Amino acid sequence: MPPDEPMTSTVLVRAHEWRRLDPLMLLVHPVNELVRFLPLVIATVVFGSSGDDRGPWQWQWIGVAIPIALGVGRFLTTRFRITTEQVELRRGLFARSVLRAPLDRVRTVEVTSSPIHRLLGLAKVAIGTGSAARAGDERLELDGLALRHARELRTALLHRAGTTDVPGAAGAVTRRPDTGRVLLRFDPRWLRYAPLTSSGIVIAAAVAAGVGQLVDAAGDRLTRWSLPDLAQLALWIAVPLGLVLAVALFSVFAVLGYLITNGGFRLSVDPSGRTFHVTRGLVTTRETTLERDRIRGVEVHEPLGLRLGGAARLSAAVTGLDRRTGGTSPLAPPAPYDVVIGVGTEILDGSPALVVPLRHHGPRALRRRYLRAASGLGLPLLVAAAITLQDRSWAWTLLPTTLLLVVAEPLARDRYRRLGHALDARHLVVSSGTFSSRRQVLAREGIIGWNIRQSWFQRRGGLCDLVATTSAGRQACTAHDVPEPVAVALASAAVPGLLGQFRG
Amino acid sequence: MHPATDPPAPARLREPANRVSPRAPLLWGLNAAGPLVGVLVVLLFGEQAGWFTLPAWLWPAYALLALGYVLGMPLVRYRVHRWESTASAVYTQTGWLARERRIAPMSRVQTVDFDQSALGRLLGLATVTVTTASAAGPLQLAALQVDVALRLVDELTRRAEADQGDAT
Repeated sequence: MPPDEPMTSTVLVRAHEWRRLDPLMLLVHPVNELVRFLPLVIATVVFGSSGDDRGPWQWQWIGVAIPIALGVGRFLTTRFRITTEQVELRRGLFARSVLRAPLDRVRTVEVTSSPIHRLLGLAKVAIGTGSAARAGDERLELDGLALRHARELRTALLHRAGTTDVPGAAGAVTRRPDTGRVLLRFDPRWLRYAPLTSSGIVIAAAVAAGVGQLVDAAGDRLTRWSLPDLAQLALWIAVPLGLVLAVALFSVFAVLGYLITNGGFRLSVDPSGRTFHVTRGLVTTRETTLERDRIRGVEVHEPLGLRLGGAARLSAAVTGLDRRTGGTSPLAPPAPYDVVIGVGTEILDGSPALVVPLRHHGPRALRRRYLRAASGLGLPLLVAAAITLQDRSWAWTLLPTTLLLVVAEPLARDRYRRLGHALDARHLVVSSGTFSSRRQVLAREGIIGWNIRQSWFQRRGGLCDLVATTSAGRQACTAHDVPEPVAVALASAAVPGLLGQFRG
Repeated sequence: MHPATDPPAPARLREPANRVSPRAPLLWGLNAAGPLVGVLVVLLFGEQAGWFTLPAWLWPAYALLALGYVLGMPLVRYRVHRWESTASAVYTQTGWLARERRIAPMSRVQTVDFDQSALGRLLGLATVTVTTASAAGPLQLAALQVDVALRLVDELTRRAEADQGDAT
């Protein structure tokens, strides 16, 4: 690194030395460990040792001391340094691990602050390198640094990793991420979309599991409170009542979940236009920086609920993101469709790929949609008929299962309407799905191979699934049930000079 | 739309040029037979030990299906599995009922792995795996003759090195 580069950071001044994390982490780690042991700790403190006759006190303190010792140990044994070529992270006392990432491989840097971090002015820095192909790859995490240092480290890492210098970019380096032009800012009215997502159910399940864990840990000391006995109510009251309660509960959870993850959402673009910054989270704040060069495409996701409400989500497919996050980074939480398309188009440099009309896959693909809808929805009817033959008292099941079949036609039609692809000068577009409708846009230079799959049935129908593989996002973009000649033509046109040699 | 450099040829892909080793069906058959024999042993043992009683027709039915699979699947597979490596791409075709063709440009090849199972070593067969930066795209060239596989690994490594960018 040339010495005249702006280096205000103390992290970078002492760049070549081995450094510890911020000493304030001595407070964070133990608290984090405590939180992880929380059910156990609560159980030991409140209920003693699950009703055993052993003296409760020593056990209680061991339950608290072990996590704290682990936390201190982790702080003392973790070191990192940044040399001119690489970032190194050393961990562990007995089982020692050294993680190294070459600086020119740094693709993304994410800065996260949990509530405890925020209280102490700290942040966790996660450094993403482009090693998508290797499974089980550990990621480089510095947990944590002072927020100021974390941000400086981020700009320094990304700036060094950048290969071409855009004029004016040097000035942008020392700026804070929130100086750029804002593309999207959280709007509280979007909260109305939260109940339309499935997140409420997921959160409710997580809460139920957490409560269950607590109850388990508490053992028999916890007296069971009894809900009003639902069994005594008539079935026709109990079922609708339960449903209404469940929907209300899921909605509340969904809105809270939406608010906590997406509150304060802000998507902005750097003055140089080279990087996008996403900040989100009400409790734990998360700042993700995405280099424009690393964005291989975007995806508009419209699960059925959101679609009926006129909303959608937007995410970017980025190379070098951690595999656990699926290589996608959210660019818009559930928000009005038009807003999402506007932002997506801006990310794509004004390309109309998100609204361009799709090329549909023809009568055979349509017939396959009908067959699949009819067989999937017809199965309950078959089962009901079989049961009724055995026992006439089940004849009532025939009615709802027949009604289910009525949905098959519109379902198949919608699935066909959503199924399609398009190709423009820079992007491949694929779209599919009714319940979880997605339109994926992938930069043509981001395509690193083709898979052409055919099930036995598809082979008979002359159809195939054309998969464009990529190192970003979901790692693949699939056009389903494309007629074979169309697939070959599409693949040859999208990546010229590759398939021609195998035609024949 | 970009002017495609491809000639306006027939709209289908031809099969890759090379078959795998003629000993491949033996390897696949043995691999398939292993678990099937295991199930048979468990069933026989269970019946002897009196855990359950099985209808008499089950044994011939099982034998028929298992034999059909162990003998039939490898032969169909042998007709399907093919590979080809050119200066600019690797092309494979795999499967038996469901089939898949994979094409990776040489410029995107990241690693070339060579491995042999124990059975593969006995039969002199090896597998070459070509990975790209996408988790969705490894190309497996299974059951090649060892010398063919080794030559292929050399060749692919050389070509991929000659054509090395960022590969993502």
